[in-house]
Amino acid sequence: MSLQAVLPDTISGLLGLEGILGDVVGGLVGAFLIANIMLIMTAFAGPWAKRKITAAFGDRIAVNRIGPFGLLTIVTDAVRLLSKELIVPEGVDRPAWDLAPMVIPFSALLGFAVIPMGNGIQLADPETGLAFAFAAASIASLGIVMTGYASNNKFSLIGALRAVASNIAYEIPLVVTAASVVIFAGSLRMSEIVAVQAEPLLSVAGVTIPTWFAFVNPFAFALFIIANLAEVGRNPFDIPEAPTEIVAGFQTEYSSVYFVLIYLGEFIHIFLGGAIAATLFLGGPAGPVLPGFVWFTIKIWAFFLFTQWARSAIPRLRVDQFLEIGWKGMLVLSFANLVLTAIIVGVIV
Amino acid sequence: MIGILKGMAVTLRHALDGETFTVEYPETAPEVSPRFRGVHKFSQERCIWCRQCENVCPNDTIQIVQDDKRNGEQYNLHIGQCIYCRLCEEVCPVDAILLTQNFEFTADTKNDFVYNKEQLKNVPWYKDIDPLNSRNPDRNAWIGEGEGEVDYQ
Amino acid sequence: MPTSKDNPVSQSAEPVFRTADWHEREAYDLVGIQYEDHPDLRRILLPDTWQGHPLGLDYDQDRPQIATLREHANPLEGDHRSAGDSNTMYINIGPHHPATHGVLHVETVVDGEQVVDLDSDIGYLHRCEEQMCQQGTYRHQIMPYPDRWDYISAGLLNEWAYARTAEDLADIEVPEYAQIIRTMGAELCRIASHMIALGTFALDVYGDFTAIFMYAMRDREIVQNILEDLTGQRMMFNYFRLGGVVWDLPEPREEFFEKIRDFIDELPQALEEYHDMITSNEILQARTVGTGVLPPEVAKSYGATGPVARGSGIDYDLRRDDSYGYYDELDWDVVVEDGCDNFSRLLVRMREVEESAKIIQQCVDLLEDWPEDERNIQANVPRTLKPEEDTEIYRAVEGAKGELGIYIRADGTDKPARFKIRSPCFSNLQTLPEMSEGEYIPDMIASLGSLDIVLGEVDR
Repeated sequence: MSLQAVLPDTISGLLGLEGILGDVVGGLVGAFLIANIMLIMTAFAGPWAKRKITAAFGDRIAVNRIGPFGLLTIVTDAVRLLSKELIVPEGVDRPAWDLAPMVIPFSALLGFAVIPMGNGIQLADPETGLAFAFAAASIASLGIVMTGYASNNKFSLIGALRAVASNIAYEIPLVVTAASVVIFAGSLRMSEIVAVQAEPLLSVAGVTIPTWFAFVNPFAFALFIIANLAEVGRNPFDIPEAPTEIVAGFQTEYSSVYFVLIYLGEFIHIFLGGAIAATLFLGGPAGPVLPGFVWFTIKIWAFFLFTQWARSAIPRLRVDQFLEIGWKGMLVLSFANLVLTAIIVGVIV
Repeated sequence: MIGILKGMAVTLRHALDGETFTVEYPETAPEVSPRFRGVHKFSQERCIWCRQCENVCPNDTIQIVQDDKRNGEQYNLHIGQCIYCRLCEEVCPVDAILLTQNFEFTADTKNDFVYNKEQLKNVPWYKDIDPLNSRNPDRNAWIGEGEGEVDYQ
Repeated sequence: MPTSKDNPVSQSAEPVFRTADWHEREAYDLVGIQYEDHPDLRRILLPDTWQGHPLGLDYDQDRPQIATLREHANPLEGDHRSAGDSNTMYINIGPHHPATHGVLHVETVVDGEQVVDLDSDIGYLHRCEEQMCQQGTYRHQIMPYPDRWDYISAGLLNEWAYARTAEDLADIEVPEYAQIIRTMGAELCRIASHMIALGTFALDVYGDFTAIFMYAMRDREIVQNILEDLTGQRMMFNYFRLGGVVWDLPEPREEFFEKIRDFIDELPQALEEYHDMITSNEILQARTVGTGVLPPEVAKSYGATGPVARGSGIDYDLRRDDSYGYYDELDWDVVVEDGCDNFSRLLVRMREVEESAKIIQQCVDLLEDWPEDERNIQANVPRTLKPEEDTEIYRAVEGAKGELGIYIRADGTDKPARFKIRSPCFSNLQTLPEMSEGEYIPDMIASLGSLDIVLGEVDR
């Protein structure tokens, strides 16, 4: 049972198609739309917003030569990167080396299939939505391992191994923290998690604060954000890339189109991390006045901004310290959070 | 944790105050101090072909060709090889060679950086600053120091 | 240690002082002296295939250096270095690596992420500075070169090393007024140099060209503007002359003093910001405290000087211990930290910036009140200097990275017969294996950053 019609149904309804044909066409068109929305956001984020944000933190101006506010840099960057020579180093493991740059962005895009973006924009709403999102997001680490393994470069290999280590160490706290939300919501279905958060928590002077889980359980929210930073590999947890230590980590050997794909994948991954956080803790697309999709966009961009802020302000951890925090700190805290939540929910309900 | 938050606060403050220290170069020409040493300017009218600049140059940037009557024929200066130490200007008794404030020079090959006396003469002033004028009070500190008269060979 | 011309063999001092290792390799490489019992007498600056010893008197400069490609060492050959031990992996860190601050090549053997063995391969930036100085005249032509050894805005400090040596060689008395200007300029350079050391160290730990690096660069920019007003150039100053400085302070003097005072006044606030950003940051503390440990005895044995030695609790500063310039008249302290780790080296630099600011403050006060008719910036120096044959001299100053010494042997002409640079970075870099073996790769990078080497000065 879905609370509202998902996007493919809406599209096929609009086109007047029914049956299998309607499902196929609606699904394809919907997926195309959502993928493009995310790619456009990434195009803004990667070559332009990231530079502008970093520059603002460093008292600089950054790109401002081409187009208003340097926005056309996006176009020139795309041309520049795509027209570069694709260098295939000697001894790479060919099918894996070629497949990896596709796995990374598309796994992240796949995760958006179950995210409710407001105004009925949601591709599918399965009962196991949350599990699907996490599962899709973790495929990216497979891609990273492929890059590291296939590149025939020691720096790539170290980067890939670090990526695996960080993924295992932080995926568990991430999922366990999310599980505490699931206990509250009583469902893995994304639309229901959002719907539960719409109920008012308390009313102060006419302003109703909804039961966003970030308000209900700020501790879990903090845990989730930290684990999420590690999951998307940003400072202080950007150890798979760690430019000053292992050159560029897993993507050392990639150039041209392949590099663009990996780069895109990382940004989509940040947005996916933001989208999951927004859905679980910030009421998804909910928000006053503006339409749901706008709120959703604001929330995921806020997370993106946060990653960039952390990148400017927080030093990188060493790999062993990073794993220590993951296994000894985050894991314990997240399980404590889960148990406490379960007890509280059990007592109240 | 407090330290991390402090760092985040500092960066955020810098991000929000909107101050930047970027110089948008081609649009705003950077300020250079009066003593700045840039590309050379050479005046054949002043030059007495004493070859002191050629001698003092630490890395043989200046090449002077004279005919058999010691009249100057060529004055070549490789501005790509020059280390801008200003020793040539310092030893010149007649201010025939100067270092302007001009730092903008380009070429397609390094050979294009070999300037002959005509090219050296046509080096523009940067922002119309005459370096000799702006450095003048200091020049006297050098000339007249040392032992004996200025050596014209 | 003198050796005979026909049979240049000497006994190695390596068992006594570890620092002799590289210094003797350098002497072997450039001059051709053999050392008995040296553990590893290889070429250090020149390629392994080089024929002859270029600073030796019998060296034929016109003979072409012919080495076939096959003779050159294959950088990937190290792959098989640890074939017997399958747990380790050989990695070339550098010469093109984001964190080596230039073209340093660190041949590293790692076990997982831990450094097992490490050997720095230097010489990529060898520019024959010693020989260039040997071909220049004392009076003018050598002075521009010191700027190019440690080119990270420590120019005046380097120039002072040559100025001090040559002035003592030729018995030149420098006017007091010029000494104060020199002191002030040198300390400004020290601030600029420490700023970039701080910024790049943070960069190595943070991982990107992030905020703190930009802030340090911005503050260094102010120093550079002041130095540009004073010397006419931003990095390659060529401001000192034998017997003084080339220019008096720029007119209008009040404006110049105002500029320096503004900078000094704002410095504590900037430093406060740095402390908020780095030293009080828990993650940075976790990264740097207790890593890259260099015990004092080891530091001494390797001849480490400057902030590296003072970070290991060695109270040694040439400005005080072998005073020159105007330092002994001024009120300042030598900064020493006992931590022996990356963090204390960082702290030493930050506190030295404060001390330098104190010195500059006092210099400005002195210069402001200096009587106008006694502003003598240069002593009377002959146009050509010809020190007597076979006079030798070694003088050192406290450069930005440590003891920068110069040895000159004169041969009666107006050019030095031998010009040897004792570079602090060269000795400091030797300590890297001591600091990093057994640590993680990120700590090795951080230790390298905390040494604050400039490859221009290591390779010369």
